Parts: sequence; structure tokens; C-alpha cells
Amino acid sequence: MTVGSATGVLALDTSTALTVAALWDAARGVDAEVAVDPPAGGRPLHAQALLEAAVATLAEGGGSWEQVGRIAVGIGPGTFTGLRIGIAAAQGLARALGRPLVPVSSLASLAASATAAEAGAGRFVLAVIDARRGEIFVGGDGLVPSVLAPEDLAERARDRLAVGDGAVRFRAALEAAGAVVPADDSVLHRVSARMHCRLALNAPPVAPERVLPCYVRLPDAEVAR
Amino acid sequence: MILAVETSCDDTCAAVVGLDGVIHANVISSQTVHDRFGGVVPEIASRQHLEQITPVIDAALTQAEVGLDKITRVAATRGPGLVAALLVGFSAAKGLAAGRELPFTGVDHLHGHLAASFLNGFDPPFLCLIASGGHTLLARVTRPEGPAEILGQTLDDAAGEAFDKGARLLGLGYPGGAALSRLAADGDPAAFRFPVGARMGGLDFSFAGLKTALLYKTRELGAEETARRRADLAAAYEAAIVEALMIRLRRAVQTTGATRIALGGGVAANGPLRAAVAALGLEHDVPVPALCTDNAAMIAAAALHLPAQPYPTYLGLDVYATGERPLAAPA
Ligand SMILES: [Zn+2]
Repeated sequence: MTVGSATGVLALDTSTALTVAALWDAARGVDAEVAVDPPAGGRPLHAQALLEAAVATLAEGGGSWEQVGRIAVGIGPGTFTGLRIGIAAAQGLARALGRPLVPVSSLASLAASATAAEAGAGRFVLAVIDARRGEIFVGGDGLVPSVLAPEDLAERARDRLAVGDGAVRFRAALEAAGAVVPADDSVLHRVSARMHCRLALNAPPVAPERVLPCYVRLPDAEVAR
Repeated sequence: MILAVETSCDDTCAAVVGLDGVIHANVISSQTVHDRFGGVVPEIASRQHLEQITPVIDAALTQAEVGLDKITRVAATRGPGLVAALLVGFSAAKGLAAGRELPFTGVDHLHGHLAASFLNGFDPPFLCLIASGGHTLLARVTRPEGPAEILGQTLDDAAGEAFDKGARLLGLGYPGGAALSRLAADGDPAAFRFPVGARMGGLDFSFAGLKTALLYKTRELGAEETARRRADLAAAYEAAIVEALMIRLRRAVQTTGATRIALGGGVAANGPLRAAVAALGLEHDVPVPALCTDNAAMIAAAALHLPAQPYPTYLGLDVYATGERPLAAPA
């Protein structure tokens, strides 16, 4: 479902160190994605790069916001500040354009990309996003997003194809738990805003103010109480 | 009309202000969730900001009775403040501006406080004393577009923080600054003498010693006597904060020859402070409370005097945490 003649889906994701935007407009043959990695050893560029990346994808479809019929945004789980930058910007864009906003699970999108690539030889996918502090956010086929230490994965990882920045970082623990992890430089480890577009095309929109991060973790101050 | 957003600390704010400086809406959603922690928790503040930012912007547009099509410019606080909190309002505002290809202005939060008086038609030049829970500073404002000259700042606690810490020592909870002032109204400000830093030269402020003096005084009096004389302690403590502020303000008036004074920040609502400023006999302006505490109308007021960056040149702007940028300098 799209609005009027605007058939494009614009997607944003800032759940990982990557800043990524995509515009998919099958009717016009547009399938653009712009991803910005952090500088070597540096912090993610979410705040600076996100909207520039979004505008760069627009350029491939003719340069106008008019082509955007709906907006999708990754809600994580992932870096809290990153998620808020992406979601706040997406809320602002959705309000500005009067277009529906669709939340997309960044973990589900990672898993969907791996499944679509048929890279796992029929294995279920374990999507793994680095949660820092030695922990990972995990999700994927049949799993509720949760946060845990890689050593505690146990049976959840057995014989699964593990993808995501957390799978790269904790390769040893995941392989020890029986998971198969693609090479570090595999594109399967990167969140794809292109996949967000596909997942969002027929998903129900949510009122912009109700689109919020999937935090999984409580704030430290709450935990300490 | 300009739509402005402010989320530097624990208030989610949006305002709609005409290019003529008329305020059409000034919505402030204050977070009370931090009270049980005894201070603002950045992660919790940021989560709340994200839940509130779109409803607050919508409320401002509704109050102003305008649609987004009437907004010709967007502004948002860039810093200083809590980075994670700033990023929510700043990102939402940039997204809103980008989608409509509107010009955008990033505003320094302190420039916003200084600009609050512009909305009253009180234009520079003036001396401005900003006192709140987050800042205490004395600045000379010569031009509305800045930069302002900072004459003095606090070296430790902010004035509003001193109120809150004193309130806690007197068992008034958090944030207890306003409760301390109410209690002080029934006390004798001369009952105790607390340090005002009169021997500290220059125009900088320091409130850490005052808080410590109150702590020692309550220990010396014991719990029972402290409880009995709480109003006197509050009155003397409040008088010391006010005098500490006034000493620097009088010095600044003397050294600069200024004849006009603007107050700002939440502490500007304090009765004894307003009376003391009035007693100087100079032309002065104290904005209404909603323009003294953190708000977005003041951000709009500052933006009106700053250059607007055309779409899409501002998309790469980031926020900043501390006063690493010259105060009131255009972004
Ligand atoms: Zn402030």
C-alpha cells in the first residue's frame, strides 16, 4: 500500500555502527542503498550521515521526496543513541511528508537478508547484533529478541547460520555453540535498509509517535534500583 | 513562522513563533520520572524525549492553529546539554525540515536563554544573568545575533542546583528548590550567616562552599534543632544564593556601565532575587516563567537573529555536549 502515485519506500537504519538508507521503488525501477561506515576506530556517523544518505538515495530516483510513499525505520535492538537518532529523524520525515511510518525489527531484517540469500543451506538464521559490554542481542527465525552473553547461547545457536556484527565479534563463542558464521567480510553481517523496504511494503504502519526502539535492556539506573 | 525544538535536558519543548517574534505556541513537557533518582538520568531522559517529541511538536502546531505548510523555518538546540537528549530533538527537527526542504538553524542553548528577553521586546544591549539548575552565567549581550561576551560563570554547582542540594539537606526531597523558597518565606534570613564568596574577586560564581556550610550547620544543630529551625535555615540559605548572584551582578554593572539588565533561567522566578534586581533601580526585564525555564520559544527567538541554513546544507550537522562553541556564535 502506498500513497497516491508515490510508490517508493524509504528505509533508514542506525541500530549498528552502520548508517544506512535505501529507496526501493519497483514501479520506477529504483533500488538504491547508501551505507556509511564509521571512520576506522571512530564512532558511528548516525547524526551526521543519516539524512544525507537518505537524500542520496532519493537522487537515484529523481531527487524528490514526492516519490516516497512510505517510510520504514529499523527499531533495533542495537545502540540506544543510534536508534533514537534514526527513529526521531524518521518520525520527523513522516510528519513532514504526511506518509505512513513502519517500524522494522533490525534483527528480523538481518535474518531475512540471510534467508533470501540462501546462504545457509536451509539452516535457520540467528541474527546477532553487538550489544556491547560483552553481550549480544539475538533474534531471527522463531526467536524473541533478547540480550545475553554469547557463552549463554547454548542450544539456540546450534546448527544455525549466525549473521550480524555480533556474530563477527563473537565468532569463537558462536562457533563453539554450534553456529555457522559466514566470513567476516560477508555482506550478510550488515543490516540492509533494502531489506527493510521489502519488509515494510505490506506491513501495517504505526502512528509516528508510537514508533519507538526495541530496547530489550532497561536503563542502568532502573536496573540498579 | 518558525517551528523550534529544544531537548537539551529533561524538558521536551516545541514552539511556534512568528517571524515578527509573536509566540503562537510554547509547549513544554517536563519529565518528572527523574525525581526518584535525585537527578536527571540521561538515558531515561532520552527515552522520554523520543516518546514525547512528536506529540509535543503536534501540540505546538495545534495550539498555534497552523499546519506544517505555514512553517517556513525550523530551529533546534544543538548544545550544550546531554548529547543523547539533544540528538532526539535535533534529529526530529532536521527530519521535519528536510522532508519539507525548509531552511534550518541550529541554536546554542545559552544563546536561547539570552534571547528570551527579545520576545518581550527587550533588545540589546543589556547585561544578562542566567541562573537555573543547569547554568549560572553573566553575559553582556550587545547584538541580538551574538556572540555574547561571557563575563562570569559558575565554577562548580549551578544556582538552581544549589537550591536543590540545600533542599535535600533540609529534607525537602528532589527537586526541592521551589519548596525551599516557599519555606524560606516563613523564616528569618538573618538567623544564620552563610558564605556568599564576597572575597572571591571577579565575576565567576561558586556555590559548592555554600552547600557544605549548610551541611555543617545542620550537623552542628542536630536533627531535632535543624527540623525546628528549617524555615530560618532555608531563608538564610536562599539569601546567601541571592546575595552571591547580586554581588557579581553589581560588580558587572559597575565595570561595564550597563544600565539595562535581563534575568533568565528557572531561578529568575525567585522572589527575593527579583526584588534585589529591582532595587538596583535599573531598567530590567524578567520573562514569564515559561520563557525563563528551558523552552523552545527562546530557541526560536535566537534563531530569528541567526542565519538560516538552506536545505540540504544542514543535513550533516551534529549536536555538541559542552560550550566548546563560542557562546551565541552562529552555527
Ligand atoms: Zn537551560
